Amino acid sequence: MEKVIVNKTQAPLGHEKKIKPPLIMRIKSEWKKNSLVYIILVPVLIHFTIFQIIPFVYSFILTFLNYRIIGTSEFVGLRNWSQLFQDKIAIKSIWNTVLFSIYYIVPTMALGLILALIIKSGIAMTKFFKGVFFLPVVTSFVVVAGIWEWLFSGTQSGFINYLLSFFGVEPQLFLSDSSQALLVLAGLSIFKVSGSTMIYYFAGLQSIPKDMYEAAKIDGASTFKSFWMITFPLLKPIHFYVLIITTIGSFQIFDSAFLLTGGGPNFSTSTIVYYLYTIGFTNLNFSYAAVLSYVLFAIILVISLIQRKYFGKDQGLY
Amino acid sequence: MKKKSILVLLMAFILMLAACSNEPASNESNDDPASKDDAKVEGEITVWVHPYTGDAAKEEEMWKEIVANYNKDFPDVKVNVETIPWSNRDQKVLTALAANNGPDVFYAIPDQMPQYADVGMLLELDPYLEDGDLDGFVESSLLSTTWKDKKYGLPILQEAYTFFYNNEVIEAIGEDPAKLPTTWEEFDAWAAKAKEKGFYALNYAGGGSMNGTIYPWIWQSGGQVVTAENEVKINNADSVKAFEMINNMYEKGYIPEDSITASNHNELWFGGKMLAILGSGIDLTLLQKEGTFDFSIAAPLKNKEQLTYGTTGMFVVPSNSDNPDAAAQFVKSVTNAENQRIFNTVTQYIPTQEEAKDIFDSNEHMKQLSTYTQYALPGVIHPKGRAIMPFIQSEVQTMMAGDKTPQEAADAAAEAIEAELAKP
Repeated sequence: MEKVIVNKTQAPLGHEKKIKPPLIMRIKSEWKKNSLVYIILVPVLIHFTIFQIIPFVYSFILTFLNYRIIGTSEFVGLRNWSQLFQDKIAIKSIWNTVLFSIYYIVPTMALGLILALIIKSGIAMTKFFKGVFFLPVVTSFVVVAGIWEWLFSGTQSGFINYLLSFFGVEPQLFLSDSSQALLVLAGLSIFKVSGSTMIYYFAGLQSIPKDMYEAAKIDGASTFKSFWMITFPLLKPIHFYVLIITTIGSFQIFDSAFLLTGGGPNFSTSTIVYYLYTIGFTNLNFSYAAVLSYVLFAIILVISLIQRKYFGKDQGLY
Repeated sequence: MKKKSILVLLMAFILMLAACSNEPASNESNDDPASKDDAKVEGEITVWVHPYTGDAAKEEEMWKEIVANYNKDFPDVKVNVETIPWSNRDQKVLTALAANNGPDVFYAIPDQMPQYADVGMLLELDPYLEDGDLDGFVESSLLSTTWKDKKYGLPILQEAYTFFYNNEVIEAIGEDPAKLPTTWEEFDAWAAKAKEKGFYALNYAGGGSMNGTIYPWIWQSGGQVVTAENEVKINNADSVKAFEMINNMYEKGYIPEDSITASNHNELWFGGKMLAILGSGIDLTLLQKEGTFDFSIAAPLKNKEQLTYGTTGMFVVPSNSDNPDAAAQFVKSVTNAENQRIFNTVTQYIPTQEEAKDIFDSNEHMKQLSTYTQYALPGVIHPKGRAIMPFIQSEVQTMMAGDKTPQEAADAAAEAIEAELAKP
């Protein structure tokens, strides 16, 4: 009985609470409570607005304009968007980017994991190997790309061709062959990035409790089995993180095509970012370049959402 | 609450947009350009230049001297020379101009000029030019500064691509460095001999600009890519001969296997494995520096025409300059014979004023190169000149890979160019 009475008397009070005090009062009390937060947050938000939100919104407006650098831009409706569907090279560039991701993501993750396992295995000179594996990450991309170009030179005197000649393989064209060029570029990116995925995996491996391996050993599990039953599943959060960053990285690939092939031969290495760069800064068609950048945004967004839904659910260690 | 904050953000954004929007360039000065020469030239101008050599101190001195010469005639103008790095220069110029915050004079290359001029970004210089002002310029150098019969810039430097031969290879194939090939047939005969002896005949950077690869051959065969009137000529009978020539050289191994996308063949050239390269002043500098073999320089080849590629560097004035009078006068001053001597002595490019070429009187090789600028075309002078290049490149690559005949490749290139030209 008592409970009911209490509830009855509290109900109107609770309703009263919802009536807002005047705005100035609210601002004042909020300011009193959290002034420091706002002081720290405002510069960051201003920066974020100027360099992220405004360009993001303005580039969307750009897609409906015939943007002119000097002079007045005109509104052209959906013309730039409809151009996308007739643009064979844009579609080819998107497809090339997807292919590149296939060539790049899994090998980068696998190689990073293998390198981390090598370091973790406790072989001699661990620190030295860690440094060696990490070296391409800290080396300038231009330098690494230059070395890659030299290694994969398509002439008989090219280094890889010279090595292949010992196995009786004919000289390959590599970057000059439309069926090989993208693979060579993917190889370059794998070489460049595996060092950093190795560090993520290495950190992940350190966090796996040793007693699990000990228990497995007592149960008579082989090294191979304990890798598949313990190490691999327990690295799930790392797998997810590495998968997301390599996927985003693969869709943003630009520098290797820019430096080594110029998108060729026959647009076989033209990726979406490379293509939008040339449309924007070579053809000066910033409006259509903005359309392409929104396509890229949509692709990355959708893939990240899918990955989050299917791979990112269970983040816990156990 | 959410709605309100979005509204506040939106308002802020609109305000920012309004603040960023271009104010119309001052119109007073555009009323009657002809009368400007009489008006007093004063104020301040900003000139964007680039590091033309590796020696910043020397260049600083050079610009001081050039500005001092300008100030002799226009003492009331303050000139700020700013050296902008080459990388991403297009973006830098475009961003600054879009923000109405750019230079009053900047350095441009032939690819940019028609593209910028066609959208009204550049100031027409004809009102500032008097009779005889252009008389001293090499005729070919003015091609790239002219768009639809109007001058948008004045040239300061020129280059000419021509053939550099390795004398040791010439001897190895039993030929005479004193009798270098002058026609396609003669070159072809030498190339065959070089191949026989295990050398490559020529470099071909198929991954680079078409200016240094197929264009010179197209012009030599009497062909053209596209005219200013949008007539596509890349697949006419003459132009196709150039496609055939390149295809033939690739099939027979006269040019290296990786020519489809190579960015350079310096390693093969300096390694003594190549008979000749199509190069310019920078290759001469490299040759003199590396100095591993004797070389000879030949004139551009002649088939139907004797032509080659050679870039032209020019100074232009953006149409939104705050001080167009002083800027235009600066362009005239910096490109006169006296200042070209100063500029090109430091940078080792070829002057575009005929009389300033005397700076190379004591430099035999540069003197020879400077005589070839008369054959040098500055590329495809068209607002879409740069946009069409990847399509042509792609078709040449497809042809070299053996997937298309020269005629098919040329036709496909023509089709792609027409499609690009049809775009708004």
